[in-house]
Amino acid sequence: MIEREATVFVIDDDPSVRRGLERLLRSAGYLVELFASSREFLERAQCDQAACLVLDVRMPGQSGLELYESLVGGGYDIPTVFITGHGDIGMAVRAMKVGAVDFLPKPFDDEVFLDAVRGAIAARSRSRGDGKRRHPESFRSSSQE
Amino acid sequence: MSVVGSFRRYALGALAVGVAYYVGANLGFILRFPPATPSVMWPPNAILTAALLLVPPRWWWLYLLAAFPAHVAAELGVDWPAPLVLALFATNCSEALIAAVFIRRFSDEPARFDTLRRVVIFIVGAVLLAPFLSSFLDAAAVAAFLGESYWVVWRTRFPSNVLTELTLVPAIVMLVTAWPAWIRRAPRRRRVEAAILAVALLAVEIVVVAGTEDVGAIPGAPGTPLAFLSPLVLWAAVRFGPAGASLSLVTATLFAIWAAVHARGPFIALTLGESVAALQIFLTIVAIPLMCLAALIEERRRAQEALTERLRFEEELSGLSGAFVHVSSHEMDRAIEIWLGRLGNFLGLDRLILLRLADDQQTLAIAHSWAAPTLEPLPPASHDFSSVTARIRTKQPFVFPIPGVHPDEATRPDDPFGRHGIKSMLIEPLVAGGRVLGGLAFVAMVAERTWPEDLVQRLRLFAPIFANALSREASENAMRANESMKSAILASLSSSVAVLDREGRIIAVNEGWARYALQQSATPEAVVDLGANYLDTWRQAAREDTQHASEALMGIKAVLDRSRSGFTLEYPSHAGTGECWVAMSVVPLTRPEGGAVISYTEVTERKRAEVEAQRSRQELAHFTRVSTIGELTASLAHELNQPLTGILTNAQAARRFLDATPPDLGEIRSILRDIVEDDKRAGEVIQRLRDLLRKGESEFRPLDLNALIRDVARLLGSDTIIRNVALTLDFAPDPPIVTGDRVQLQQVVLNLLLNAMEAMAESGEGARTVVVRTQSTEMDTVQVAVQDTGTGLPAGTEDMVFEPFYTTKPAGMGMGLSIVRSIIDSHGGLIWALNNPTRGATFHFALPLARERSV
Repeated sequence: MIEREATVFVIDDDPSVRRGLERLLRSAGYLVELFASSREFLERAQCDQAACLVLDVRMPGQSGLELYESLVGGGYDIPTVFITGHGDIGMAVRAMKVGAVDFLPKPFDDEVFLDAVRGAIAARSRSRGDGKRRHPESFRSSSQE
Repeated sequence: MSVVGSFRRYALGALAVGVAYYVGANLGFILRFPPATPSVMWPPNAILTAALLLVPPRWWWLYLLAAFPAHVAAELGVDWPAPLVLALFATNCSEALIAAVFIRRFSDEPARFDTLRRVVIFIVGAVLLAPFLSSFLDAAAVAAFLGESYWVVWRTRFPSNVLTELTLVPAIVMLVTAWPAWIRRAPRRRRVEAAILAVALLAVEIVVVAGTEDVGAIPGAPGTPLAFLSPLVLWAAVRFGPAGASLSLVTATLFAIWAAVHARGPFIALTLGESVAALQIFLTIVAIPLMCLAALIEERRRAQEALTERLRFEEELSGLSGAFVHVSSHEMDRAIEIWLGRLGNFLGLDRLILLRLADDQQTLAIAHSWAAPTLEPLPPASHDFSSVTARIRTKQPFVFPIPGVHPDEATRPDDPFGRHGIKSMLIEPLVAGGRVLGGLAFVAMVAERTWPEDLVQRLRLFAPIFANALSREASENAMRANESMKSAILASLSSSVAVLDREGRIIAVNEGWARYALQQSATPEAVVDLGANYLDTWRQAAREDTQHASEALMGIKAVLDRSRSGFTLEYPSHAGTGECWVAMSVVPLTRPEGGAVISYTEVTERKRAEVEAQRSRQELAHFTRVSTIGELTASLAHELNQPLTGILTNAQAARRFLDATPPDLGEIRSILRDIVEDDKRAGEVIQRLRDLLRKGESEFRPLDLNALIRDVARLLGSDTIIRNVALTLDFAPDPPIVTGDRVQLQQVVLNLLLNAMEAMAESGEGARTVVVRTQSTEMDTVQVAVQDTGTGLPAGTEDMVFEPFYTTKPAGMGMGLSIVRSIIDSHGGLIWALNNPTRGATFHFALPLARERSV
């Protein structure tokens, strides 16, 4: 499967949650890179290798949402699944607007999570098939399909 | 008015003199040998002389004026030329004036004849000099107008006037001055004696002197009947003094002259002229030594009386000075009254008044008084004597009315003393210890009275005795009042009070103590037996192992041996009905013998109120904690969600690993380890939450303040993330140990941290940072500062933020910081808030460090 070769980047400040997500993704056959904060991600992540981003919204320092906005603003277009300890509608809307693929409130079921990651990677493949970079607006319209 | 009043009095006197003059003149005409002009005895001159001796010189004119019409009326009947009548009036007046002026010039008492000196002055001035000089004028007038021989007239007039002045003047003066008093005061025996003497005198005069029989016919009898008079006039002189002598002489003279003029009596063998001359010479020669003798006897008698009085005075004085020494103050009033009475009687006063000067040093009122039996007594405080206060303060005795002021002017009706009929009064100030306490007033009301210097000096001796009595009475009354005030205060106390001696024996208890002992017999504080050792009671209680008993015992002992200056203890007492709280207080007895005063007050109500207040405070604190935690819900959900997410994710991963063949057991083991950690983590959050929500008694124990702050910061970890606040902990290297209640101090830190974060919620720009610092100070306290970069406190509200219901938040209750302050207060600490120099505010609190630095 294509999935087995894909690498998922996980960014969460909670070590236990981080390790649990890594194990789930590994059991599903993904390669996983773990980051404890936005700053760590920006320091050592090689975004080209990322098939998908799993991003915690609330973290000390730069929040997940802010990190994602800066990535989009910098031209990086990585399909992203947001996870949050206390999601609310406003936050979900904002995440989707900037191009998130999915938004999961913690705690979540393993199948739901893996489906979301799978969906994100698939979205990336489709956009690669177009052979051009997408604008956030077009991303949004496609995600609404 | 007073001048008019005295004029009326003197005018009446003058009128009486005028009448007497007229009668005397007619009597004189009877006693003369016609055709010679001068009488054998001429009373008008003596009447005038006596009047001038009795009245003050400034009124003489009135008396001379009154005599004039009497003179004219009497002499008109004689058919003399008017100029002679006038001239004779002038010579008569001149005789009286010469006599009066001379006597007033030389005699200390012109109207008295009771000393040899006064009698001699009278004889020289009135008896010899005045008739001698005036007879020249008289003889000249008679010679000029009637043509009689000058020297014959002079020779006739001189002896006749000598005799008249000698016998009549003292008799008239005595009748006016001494007679009324004698009539009032003389004992019955004296009156009887006087009556017998008068009868005997009259009998001898009628029978022997004026009788027709020649006494010479009686064999062996003296040649002249006058000899029979001698024993009687001697009797009068010896027994009745100058007054008796002069009165008996007057009657004898009148009879003898009347007899001689009518060719009867003693000198019947002589011619008329010779008979009269012999009579005059005889009577004069008898009268002069007789007067002197009477005066001498009177003087002697007075000296004797004075001596006796002096002795009695000394006796009274010594009796008085001993009288008050052993009298206790409540008998003092009675003793003072008794002695006032004795003194009043002794001194022959009308009233004797003891005046007391009030504490205001102004009001002078009657404290005690005595009145002669015929007078109404003056009740205490009934009359105001304050008008003489100023004079009393001079500490010198004074006479009232003041000498020199005319009595009529001094006793005006508007004068308080005049109104009370006080005629004259001597006031001796009462001085003790240099302080004027009042005065002793010696009062005469019936008659004016003189206060000679020697009397004043003697009366002065009484003053210090009464002064000391008053002063002693006052100080003993003050002491007794003080004493009764103290015992009234002691009795009125609802507390139980006992006095212990140095060994701890009960030496006195108040009523409250006795009452309490009756109600509760089984408690240490209920021992009532005087003399029982109170320490033993507490020793017994301490053996029965109550903690407060040994504490109380130590405290009482410490006060008794003066190692403590006081001791208080509050403890529950289980005797009687239900539980009650007792406050014991022990204070040292400030006296050389030592001892202590111990008192018990029931404070159950207060204790109950304190417990109630404590409970309310705790409930309020709990309520605010719960509501504070309500604000944290979102952050707490996050805090719990993290471990739960970890657990779920890891558990599901484990299930997937188990499905694989072969299952990766190593992986599964590490998953399980993570799950256990996550579970513990969630448990801790819940535990911390439960701690904060706990409701119960505060529990003071040593705490590490750094650890406590760290725990609270952990609870707020998610909140800081949500609010995007950087929380920094900057702790003192040595853990600061304080004694306190964990939950309450956590509440303090929680409130201050939330407060800091909320303060920054509104400030948009700049880093949001909260720094918590702990720092031990030199004062054995730890100081905690919570510093934020928020909006800061409105200027001037730094102190108000701790007031209840003060809030700047729309939804705030304003209780948070007030609870914080009450918690810090109850930990013996201080809390304050200051704005930072740049941005935000810092809340500080300081707590005393625990003595032992171990948790």
